[in-house]
Amino acid sequence: MTSICIYFEVHQPTRLNRFSVFNVGKNNDPLSTYFNHELNYWIFEKVAKKCYIPTNKILLNLINEFDGNFRISFSLTGTFVEYCERYMPSLLDSFKDLFATGAVDFIEETYFHSLSSLFDDLDEFEEQVIMHNKMIKRIFNYKPRVFRNTEAIFDNRIAKKISELGYKGILTEGTEKILDWRSPNFIYKPVNTDIKVLLRNYTLSDDVGFRFSARGWPGYPLTADKYAYWLASSEGDLINLFIDYETFGEHQWIETGIFDFLDHLPREVMKHHHLDFVTVSEAVERYEPVGEIDVPWAISWADADRDVSTWLGNNMQIACFNEIKEIGKTIKQKKDRNLLYIWRLLQTSDHLYYLSTKGMEDGDVHAYFSPYSGPYEGFINYMNILQDLKQRI
Amino acid sequence: MKIAMIGWEYPPFKAGGLATHCHGITHSLAGKGVKVDFYMPKTKQRSYSDNPNLRIIEVGESDIFPYDRPDTKELAGLFYDAVYRYNDIVVAKVQENIKKYGNYNVIHCHDWLTMRAGVSLKEKTGLPLIITVHSTEYDRAGWLYPNQWFIDLERYGMEKADKIIAVSHFTKRVIVEKYGINPDKIEVVHNAVYPIPEGQKQEIVLFLGRLTIQKGAEFFLKAAQKVKEHEPDARFVVAGAGDMLPRLIDQAIHLGISDRVIFTGRLTEEEVKHIYSISSVYVMPSVSEPFGITALEAISAGTPTIVSKTAGVAETFKNCLKVDFWDTDEMANKIISLLKYDPLRNTIAQEGKHEINLFTWDRVAKQTIDVYNGVI
Repeated sequence: MTSICIYFEVHQPTRLNRFSVFNVGKNNDPLSTYFNHELNYWIFEKVAKKCYIPTNKILLNLINEFDGNFRISFSLTGTFVEYCERYMPSLLDSFKDLFATGAVDFIEETYFHSLSSLFDDLDEFEEQVIMHNKMIKRIFNYKPRVFRNTEAIFDNRIAKKISELGYKGILTEGTEKILDWRSPNFIYKPVNTDIKVLLRNYTLSDDVGFRFSARGWPGYPLTADKYAYWLASSEGDLINLFIDYETFGEHQWIETGIFDFLDHLPREVMKHHHLDFVTVSEAVERYEPVGEIDVPWAISWADADRDVSTWLGNNMQIACFNEIKEIGKTIKQKKDRNLLYIWRLLQTSDHLYYLSTKGMEDGDVHAYFSPYSGPYEGFINYMNILQDLKQRI
Repeated sequence: MKIAMIGWEYPPFKAGGLATHCHGITHSLAGKGVKVDFYMPKTKQRSYSDNPNLRIIEVGESDIFPYDRPDTKELAGLFYDAVYRYNDIVVAKVQENIKKYGNYNVIHCHDWLTMRAGVSLKEKTGLPLIITVHSTEYDRAGWLYPNQWFIDLERYGMEKADKIIAVSHFTKRVIVEKYGINPDKIEVVHNAVYPIPEGQKQEIVLFLGRLTIQKGAEFFLKAAQKVKEHEPDARFVVAGAGDMLPRLIDQAIHLGISDRVIFTGRLTEEEVKHIYSISSVYVMPSVSEPFGITALEAISAGTPTIVSKTAGVAETFKNCLKVDFWDTDEMANKIISLLKYDPLRNTIAQEGKHEINLFTWDRVAKQTIDVYNGVI
């Protein structure tokens, strides 16, 4: 038996307003001056219509059609859920409907999709995990058992912390950096703690996420039966397909046939009798580790480098990251809930992602997501806001 | 392959980017085995070539610069005569050289000054004509009061040319939209730069260019006033000469920044390199800028650069900051940020120097040879 574990990341950042040096120290209401609510609403609504609403509907139908044998997992960030609650509660209801089928699992992460796991100590990280935990409890009355850090950032220290917090499993990237010749289609355990590590099969995941509509790719056009055949011919206990939810209808437009692909996938997979679907919780219950991984330096699933250089790859990114860390030391003593919340919204990893100066293909991907005309404009804007926040405390 | 290239300025005699371009492209073409005869007016300082494939042929004499205007020159009435005279002498000289040394494959002209000679030679010899457009009358007039005489002359050359090389897509659009030329006839070849060594940086914000409407120095001064309030130690250098100098000096006084601004007048080539190398920020707030080689020069010297959004260089170069030339608040925001945030300055300088390696005259020569091959 080989299990297919499909997991979707659902996230929207809180994008910033234009903020020049002349704005520093001249505003009374940071929440409304730092964040561009109009732009954020516009993007959220656009993506909801193109992706979230139609994809949730397809998934619900598929689960019902196959009597719960089609099983999936989600991770919803806190910032995403706030958008839903503020602008589109019906969208949150459709996630509740999915969860009510019993075929859907939720994954824990940091509430703010932040880089707090890379801070000098892990207190802030822990607080944000607990915040996320409370949110899932409040909305779904559920306690996730598996954790996935922001963009699958992972190292021994993070694994140990998550294990101590009581989670049974943790997700990260199945990169050769930690596996060498070994297959990602098994469960592993970190050298320093007992927790099950699920590794993303990046080839099969990116076939859908990145290459689905790439005409130059030998796999094009990717049909559900072809893909199911690839899954069926893969060896191992468990194939982890971790994909951005926005792949459906947003990164890959409806015209590419991505929805038809999704619609046909469960049936095609089930034609192969040695395959079945599991949620992340079921995966860690069912399978045992086959080996150890040692990850002293953080890895992630981002960019070709598969490390944290996506967010900390140049001096501008490091300067902003250090500034955020420094501000935190003071802000935590102030006990001002509003400022603490703003500081945390500013921690969302996307703010640093936009400042990347990587070239080639990764650079194009960064540019696609960025609200700025380039990394330098992004830095000026973000750094000015951090300076304003610093003056405020 | 043998080219008769007709220009107007060439180092050390130099008024703008045209000279820089002609120097770069003739050397790189010669380096690739293309024989180039470069025709230009006689100047006080002799130009020379160190490559046997490249001959600099000086003919006639002229006091006209490519950026001169008939209404601002003492030689007023003589302006048109001087232009015609140079063109006639060039035609005679090229024909004489064809008789003596054999035929060329292509006639290649630069900008309006040499259009008449180019067209006349094409008609007399039957050789294909290439013209490179470095700027149009609309650019030089800052889109305010373009002079019809220049426009007609430019259109005449563009219509007769077999192929046109534009220094940017921006310029290509102007040629198509304002001069009614078929876009299929126009190839875009972006400019390049010979890198300038980086020096010991000082807190200098630099403007360098002709002090004309086109280059937008007045916006630089307005931004400087806003920067001064935030960064009282910053110094502003306005390098270059031009008819707007007295007005700009007045403006600096009115803005209350005359103690922070230095007007250098025209600089020598060595002085230009020096000021690029020690500046912390270079601003090119051109109202209309077909390309903007100076931006590449500054970046090559490790100086973070802010350019007009519409400048040709902005459409092809990533690692610089871009502003609307009229948005002096945003210009000041970016200048202050560059002065204040070391990581920004260092990253953009480092990435910029990296990217500048793609902007070689060798690449320009290669693309130009492709254009030649298309008409031979």
